[in-house]
Formats: sequence, structure tokens, C-alpha cells
Amino acid sequence: VFLSLTLFSFNRKKMNLKSERRGIHVDQSELLCKKGCGYYGNPAWQGFCSKCWREEYHKARQKQIQEDWELAERLQREEEEAYASSQSTQGAQSLTFSKFEEKKTNEKTRKVTTVKKFFTASSRTGAKKAEIQEAKAPSPSINRQASIETDRVSKEFIEFLKTYQKPGQDIYKQCKLFLDTMNHKRDLSIEEQSECAQDFYQNVAEKLQTRWKVPPEKVEKAMDQIEKYIMTRQYKYVFCPETTDDEKKDLAVQKRIRALHWVTPQMLCVPVNEEIPEVSDMVVKAITDIIEMDSKRVPRDKLACITKCSKHIFNAIKITKNEPASADDFLPTLIYIVLKGNPPRLQSNIQYITRFCNPSRLMTGEDGYYFTNLCCAVAFIEKLDAQSLNLSQEDFDRFMTGQASPKKQESDSFSPDVCLGVKQMYKNLDLLSQLNERQERIVNEAKKLEKDLIDWTDGVTKEVQDIVEKYPLEIEPKNQALAAIDSENVENDKLPPPLQPQVYAG
Amino acid sequence: GGGARMAAAAGAAAGGRSFSFKVVLLGEGCVGKTSLVLRYCENKFNDKHITTLQASFLTKKLNIGGKRVNLAIWDTAGQERFHALGPIYYRDSNGAILVYDITDEDSFQKVKNWVKELRKMLGNEICLCIVGNKIDLEKERHVSVQEAETYAESVGAKHYHTSAKQNKGIEELFLDLCKRMIETAQVDERARGNGSSQSGTARRGVQIIDDEPQVQSSGGCCSSG
Repeated sequence: VFLSLTLFSFNRKKMNLKSERRGIHVDQSELLCKKGCGYYGNPAWQGFCSKCWREEYHKARQKQIQEDWELAERLQREEEEAYASSQSTQGAQSLTFSKFEEKKTNEKTRKVTTVKKFFTASSRTGAKKAEIQEAKAPSPSINRQASIETDRVSKEFIEFLKTYQKPGQDIYKQCKLFLDTMNHKRDLSIEEQSECAQDFYQNVAEKLQTRWKVPPEKVEKAMDQIEKYIMTRQYKYVFCPETTDDEKKDLAVQKRIRALHWVTPQMLCVPVNEEIPEVSDMVVKAITDIIEMDSKRVPRDKLACITKCSKHIFNAIKITKNEPASADDFLPTLIYIVLKGNPPRLQSNIQYITRFCNPSRLMTGEDGYYFTNLCCAVAFIEKLDAQSLNLSQEDFDRFMTGQASPKKQESDSFSPDVCLGVKQMYKNLDLLSQLNERQERIVNEAKKLEKDLIDWTDGVTKEVQDIVEKYPLEIEPKNQALAAIDSENVENDKLPPPLQPQVYAG
Repeated sequence: GGGARMAAAAGAAAGGRSFSFKVVLLGEGCVGKTSLVLRYCENKFNDKHITTLQASFLTKKLNIGGKRVNLAIWDTAGQERFHALGPIYYRDSNGAILVYDITDEDSFQKVKNWVKELRKMLGNEICLCIVGNKIDLEKERHVSVQEAETYAESVGAKHYHTSAKQNKGIEELFLDLCKRMIETAQVDERARGNGSSQSGTARRGVQIIDDEPQVQSSGGCCSSG
């Protein structure tokens, strides 16, 4: 419910921003609070000043609570009828159908008003009206969304109770009675409401065992279902209630975690190596789990998210260290995950679980252990100082104020918020510079080789010349003996001519 | 606080002959507390092919003279920087096992700090065990037996000597602790029988436990999840 509310108000803010940008000539009167109290208004507060906005918002909220209440009452009535007629199933079916029809018509009317809003927003006088409407608009849509889930949970609960026969009906009656009492106790402090819920858990558990003689293994199951049923309905009243400073604490933690963005896994001595793809995969999953916690309505479902997150952390440690994780490994890693994920409304969620979870699950058992560790992680983050990160006070202060970043000092360690792509890029850059270095070395060596070759040629030429100079080439006259055998025979021409072959006939 | 914890044990006893105890494990980084608890719950030591995912939360079921005991062992981060978080961990615990390394004088000093804190926060209701681990390294002993035992006695704790490596003294340690926790729980139960008005405020610690064995969500006899 709250998530969609935040989304909705976010959209609303965006719309306002747009219209603000469009109007270049802003009238002085437009900047003032729409109530005319003389103070400046703020688009984030629908054009009211903070004081008037609080009043308007409160009015809208009161109305919403009233509407929620009426809807809840109606649904409860329907449900009771449904349960009464659960033996004859046909009756129940037609009831569901009529409910469905009703929802459809609701959906239609909402669409119409939304469209109207868009058209009227252009004129200034209309805008005022539309915005007031807008402030109230979220309630029906959220009611519907929530009520669909509430309906589903109720049906499942009734189905579940059928397997318990007679005690099932008693359980249902007890739950109804509790929800009724709680509806009349909205004015009580949250701690008192928590006491009521805890009383209820204890009473029902006792009755299940002693009065209704439910077998023990079924008691735990039933308690889980009871918690789911009542807390789905109570959630919107008791999660981060206005009467507490839960929201303020949420914002403080969120701001604190943002300010600590520079904390590296090395500083926390986190025993996981995110260079291993499987490990970084586990880290991402753990972060997703812890963020998901805020989206659950039932305390036990929230606990399950913490447990899932813890299991992923154990896997990450196991892959890195190849041994089972101890608390010495687990807690720093959980702190790192919380710092990296900055889960929404951390304090509200912790408070809600503490106040409204079935105590048997929280006090002992695995879920309770992981929840305790999460509490420790948050406490550590809140009190974290230079000493707890093994840093000097000067360094810590410089990192906190953003004057320096640990990244620049240690090139190897990346700040936890650097995403994988950027990490890869840094690695590639590193690789490139290495390649560049090698390239230069090759070019230098090649040049040297060239020079060496030239020197060698020159050297050889010089040597050859030296040798040639030293031993000049003397070509001696031809050896006489080697001339024609008869060359020196002076009386050659005195010899008769050589005999010619002659042919004789005969 | 203490009231809730007392009720946890007492409530357990009242439901039948079955108890649920939370035991915290305290000790500096290298004293071998993980090995100790893995040896006890899984009978493994430095096993290369160990399949256990984690040793930070382990459970064990025992039967001591017909009384069923569900033991949940909570490991705590022993680093100095997490020291301030101790109270969050050991809130509502029935017992504490404080481990030191007999070859490391510092680790024994750390144990002394924890004892002081536990007594301050939880009073005398918590059963304390001081454990000198690594007796297989007797030759390198730096904490004298005499000193350790005298100290333990002075703070109302029991002293044990163990070796996770050689599997010595560990069964005895846990069995003894369980017996003492049962005793404390029964004393609480009797005390509560006198003034039933306490039950209203102490509800948060109450366990749903009956004569029949409980089905554990994690399953198995000494599951580690």
C-alpha cells in the first residue's frame, strides 16, 4: 500500500514540476500559499505552505481512514456471511461475483475522475480543485489494491481453517473479535497496540493447545496463518504510524547510509570476493532480498526476506572461503549488504516486526537469529566511526565530508556503489594502458634493432674496406704454359697444311 | 529483559517435559568457537568437503533423562569493533559459552570482559561456561589452569577444557550446560508458581511447547539450514 502511495505522490510531483516548467511567467500570487495565509507555497505540498499543507493532508488522511474503515467493515460483513455459507459453496460463489462486479464499477468511476483531472488542470481555478481532489484520490485506488490482497488472504484463511473443523471456527471468531477490539483502540499508543497483539498471540496459542486440543505441529501452522490474517488487515494502521517517529528514524538511517557510500568491503573486512561472478551474483540477490522486505505486509513474510538474504550471504562466503560462515564473517557482510542496498524504511520495518510478529518465531529459531543480526547491522551503521573502520579520524572526516575518496588512494579497491560495468571499464582501461606500454616497448626495440642492423652493415662494409686496403687485389699475368700448346712454336707456318680427306673412286 | 527470558524457560517447563534454550557463543576471532560448535552439532573438524553452509546458527536436540531439550546456538561476531552490539545478541539467552584459546592470554582477557558485561546485563540467571579450547596445544599453553579455574569460580561460572580438533570435552560441556539450564528453568517455574501475576508482562518470551516433539521449520535433528 505504502509503496504505491509513494509512487503515486512521486508521479504527482513530477506532474507539478512539468506544469511549473511550462509556465515561464510566474505570477507572484502563484508562489504564495493557496490558502492565502501569506506564506509562500511549495509545489511539493500542492501549492500550500507547510502548515496549510499539513492541515489539508491531515483532513484528506482522516477521510481516507474513514473510507478504509467503512470498506473494511463491509468486507468483514461479507466475509462473515461467506464463512457462514461456506458449507453451501454455491452461495459463497455468487457473493464473490457480486463483489467483483462492484469492483469493476469502482474502477470505472476512478478512471473518469482521472481523465477529468487532466482536463481541468490547465485552468488555474480548476487546478486548485483538481489538486485537492488529487490529494484524496489515492485512497480509493489503494484501498482497492489492498482489499484485493486482503480478500485473497481472508479466503485462504477460511480455506485453511476448514481443515481444523470445529476449532477452526473458534479461531476465526477469536480473530474477528481481536480485529474489532483493535479497531476501537486506534487512539492507543503503538506500544499499547503491540501489547494487545502480543496478548492475542499468547491467548490463541494457549487456547489452541489446551482448550481446542490442536496437535502441536498444527499449532505452529495455525499461528502463522493467524498472524498473516490479522496483520494483513492491521498493516495500514500500525506500520510506521504517524504517532511515532519511525519515519523520522527511517530518513535518518537512509541519509546516514548515503553519507557512508565510500565505505569499501576492505574497510569492513568483508570475507567475500566479488571478482568471482558467482559471488557477485549472490551479493546482488542478497541486496534484492533485503530491499524486498519493505514490500511485504505480514511480519513473518518480512522475516522470510531477511532469512533469504542471509542464505545468499552465506553462499557468497562459502564460495569465497570454502568453509562454513561464522558470525565473524556473517555480520560484516550483512552490514556491507545493508550499506550497499540502503533498504527502504529500515527502522519502520524493524519496529513493525518487533511489535507485531508472533513472538515464538522471533525469540528463538533461525529467523530470529537473522533478524537480530539485522538489528545489529543497523545499530553498527548508526554508531559507525573512524575506529570501527580502522581509519584515522582525519581520513574518516575527509571521506564523510566528501573532500577525499578512498578510491583515489587505493586504485585496487572500488567503492561499493560502483557498478559492474564501471568496474569492467576500469579494468579495460588498465589493460589498455598495459598494452600501450608493451607497444611502446616493441617500437623502441624495433628501432634499436634497425639501428643495430645499420651499424652492423656499416661495420661490415668498413671492415671489408679495411681488409681490401690492407690486402690490395693484384691480378698476376696469365700463366704462359697455360696458353696454346704450340703458341710459341715459331716454325709453325713452315709446317705443311694439315691433311685433307680425299675420296678415291675405286 | 530478564523477566521475559525467565518466562521463556519457565513457560517451556510448564508446558511439559520439553525445553527450548538459547545459548550464545562468545569469543575472539581465532579461539575456535566455530570449530567447537561444528564439532558438537555436525561432528566435523576442518573438513574440506564440509557441506554445512554456515556455523553461525546451529540447533541440536537432546534428551536428558526423558526431558527433551531444543538447543539453539547463536554465534556472535567476536571482533572488537562489534563489541558494543553484544547486548542485542545475548538478550533473552539462557546460557553463554565463553571461549578462549589456552595459547593466547589476550583471548582470556576478552572472556573476562564479556563475563562482566553478561553479569551486569542478565544477572545470575544466565548459566556461564568458560571454555579453554585447543588443549591439543598443551605445550604452548599461556593461560594457567589454576588461574582460569579460580577466575571461573569467582564469577559463578563453570570452567571446561576442550579440543575441537581431538573432539575432547565438548559433549560434556554441552550436556553439563543443558542440565544447569534445566535446573534454572525449574527454579524459575517454581518461583513463578508463587506469583502468577508475572505472566502478563513476560509474555514475549513464552514458547509454545507441548509434550509432543516439535516440528522444526528447518527440519533435521541438528539442522543448520
